[in-house]
Amino acid sequence: MQIWLIPAYILLILTGVFLLYLAFKTEDRRYIYLAVAFYVIFPVLITLKLPIDISPEARQLYDAVESLPDSSTVLLTFDYYPSTVAETEPMSRAALRHLFGKDCRVLTLTTVPLGGPSIAERVTREIAKEFGKVYGVDYANLGFKYNYVAVLKGMGNSIEAIYPADNSGTPLSEIPMMADIKNYNDIDFIFLVSDNGVVDYWISIVNAQYGIRVGSGVTAVMAPKFYAYIGSGQMTGLLGGMKGAAEYELLVHKPDTAVKGMTAQSLVHLFIILSVIAGNIVFLSGKRRRKRGAA
Amino acid sequence: MNLVDFLQIWIIAFFTLSLFSFLYRDNPFYKLAEHIFAGLSAGYYVGLIWHSIILQQMINPMFDNGKWYLVFPGLLGVLMFSRFFKKYHWISRISLAFVMGNTAGIFLLSELHGKVLPQMQSTMNSLVPGRGVGGYILGLIVVVGVLSTLLYFYFSREHKGLLGGTAKVGIWFIMVSFGAHFGYTVMARISLLIGRVQFLINDWCGSIIGLFS
Repeated sequence: MQIWLIPAYILLILTGVFLLYLAFKTEDRRYIYLAVAFYVIFPVLITLKLPIDISPEARQLYDAVESLPDSSTVLLTFDYYPSTVAETEPMSRAALRHLFGKDCRVLTLTTVPLGGPSIAERVTREIAKEFGKVYGVDYANLGFKYNYVAVLKGMGNSIEAIYPADNSGTPLSEIPMMADIKNYNDIDFIFLVSDNGVVDYWISIVNAQYGIRVGSGVTAVMAPKFYAYIGSGQMTGLLGGMKGAAEYELLVHKPDTAVKGMTAQSLVHLFIILSVIAGNIVFLSGKRRRKRGAA
Repeated sequence: MNLVDFLQIWIIAFFTLSLFSFLYRDNPFYKLAEHIFAGLSAGYYVGLIWHSIILQQMINPMFDNGKWYLVFPGLLGVLMFSRFFKKYHWISRISLAFVMGNTAGIFLLSELHGKVLPQMQSTMNSLVPGRGVGGYILGLIVVVGVLSTLLYFYFSREHKGLLGGTAKVGIWFIMVSFGAHFGYTVMARISLLIGRVQFLINDWCGSIIGLFS
């Protein structure tokens, strides 16, 4: 550990304790907000690193992608709204780096109208540039189509019937890589990145009815629900929230925004635990004092 | 950085800070950001539905490809507006009945084969021998958790005796589940805050520094 980090950690602890003391003394919750803001801003300004463990679910997803033969076709979804990009966009970036690194052909789409198509376009083009991939040959963006249940079911018969053109309006018949991608039979793996319940339908419609392996990266709010699918083998790997994104970034050896954000995440969690313990101590001691006063 | 990017970053930063200002107290900046967000979202959805459903999936195929049968789903949509008229609001039930029947038909199979049966199978497989003592104990916990939680939601008999005791075990499993969900929700909310702070420090402050360099 670098020596200058010791005063930084002492400053972190003292500031947290002091703000917590002020919050209890004045009963003003804004001191708690201030402390949380401090713990989030501080690690962004000064590089502090806390260890990140790789969960078995993240490892399973990585291994599933890693085991795909080179030049496989993978469907990557951008089923998320701009409000959750802090958690989901790093997953998409890490997934694209992994897939392009393996020379997989990537087909992207979204079932989210608000921001989904533009995020898919921006992120895919940016990462494709890093790997020198060509649009239409190595990757294509199908964009958005309303009514995801009909979309998910219809793509089993014909992708072109559901998406006659890509996100920019180019007919699929003019996109070279789509010549041999007709329906789910031509897709080797589905990598979902989502912040909403559409993951359920990918499992219950696409995985159950067409037997394609599905792995997913979801927001932390949704993650506990999907562990049941991991247990039943319906889902191959799971990334939960920023932690999951950071794990995948580490697995593909390209630490990015999620890894940087995890130190702040851990510090805020420690502060919340400290607050809960301190709050209970104050509550119980106050209760005892009131009892004694009544006696 | 070009002028458009610069303005975009400043507008995003302004609305981010306006929304965060509510943490101090309610104020006009927060109200402005809230109203603009609600208005923009509503306007965007109206445009989106017009273009991606009414135009792309109904009007264009009707006039360009002669798919005149699309007039029927269109008509079902129009019938929904009958709810605005007290005397004729019953007509909207035709459209609702179609949607309900259609949805039930589609989801009945997919829910049964995609969720209920695989999850039941997986739960019962937890007790299959060959996973070692640890695996068997974990499997037993899963089965006890599932059965006791299901019994907690059985309300046709009073929760007394064996049923009451099992339901109480179910409550503990539900509480653990709520705890896990709550923990993950806190993590999610903090992640969103981190994302905003990263934007403000890296992009917005970066643009300010860029002005002077």
